[in-house]
Amino acid sequence: MKFEKLIDKSIKAFLDGKLPEELMKVQEGSITYTPEYMDELEADFAEVEPEEEVSEDDK
Amino acid sequence: MISNGPIPGENFLADTRNYPWHRPPEVETYDGTVEYVMQRMENEETAEIIYSLMEIGRPLTNIVAGLMMQGIGRGKFQIDMAILAAGPVYRYLQMLADSAGIKYETGLDTKRIPITATTMRMVLGIVEDEEEDTPETASEAPTMPEGGLMGAPTAQDATEAPADEQAAMLGMTDEEEEV
Repeated sequence: MKFEKLIDKSIKAFLDGKLPEELMKVQEGSITYTPEYMDELEADFAEVEPEEEVSEDDK
Repeated sequence: MISNGPIPGENFLADTRNYPWHRPPEVETYDGTVEYVMQRMENEETAEIIYSLMEIGRPLTNIVAGLMMQGIGRGKFQIDMAILAAGPVYRYLQMLADSAGIKYETGLDTKRIPITATTMRMVLGIVEDEEEDTPETASEAPTMPEGGLMGAPTAQDATEAPADEQAAMLGMTDEEEEV
């Protein structure tokens, strides 16, 4: 399997709410970047208004 | 017969410290890997590249794969850790794109494009000479069908009705005037 395919598979698993359980067993303590944490981070991002697009002529 | 492949055991003679990915990774934890990539994205040059790639329609999964490959190449983290940490990095990229108001391709859509003659022509770069055909058809004068029920009237058919018949058709006969 190609690296890109593995990345796709990993992303899909994360979006489905799956976590690297075996890694969590090996590593001491829980992991921070869980889907729930990313949802909270996204909510914080949503509060920030989108930046206005600057046209190339203005640069 | 000369073989260009490596000699068996050649790998034991090579200096494995020549490449960053041969050394122990600098970041060993899951959270550390995600944080490292996020910090990389905050770098001005990297951010410019990422935003440009998103704007030209490059799928986010490709960008994530590129970032991860870069970290592996620099010996920052291992391949397996890069694969595991791809999910949060993807979500972070999504947030950046949304906050910047960029329309992006996720790269996760697995819709199969049906193979048709048109798609095959596009893939093979076959361009039909439609422009050559168009002037030929345009220069030819259209031929009107003659005869039959739907045929165009000929010179013989185009005769005027007599004046009294035309007046009758218009309702201008003497009988109606009297009424």
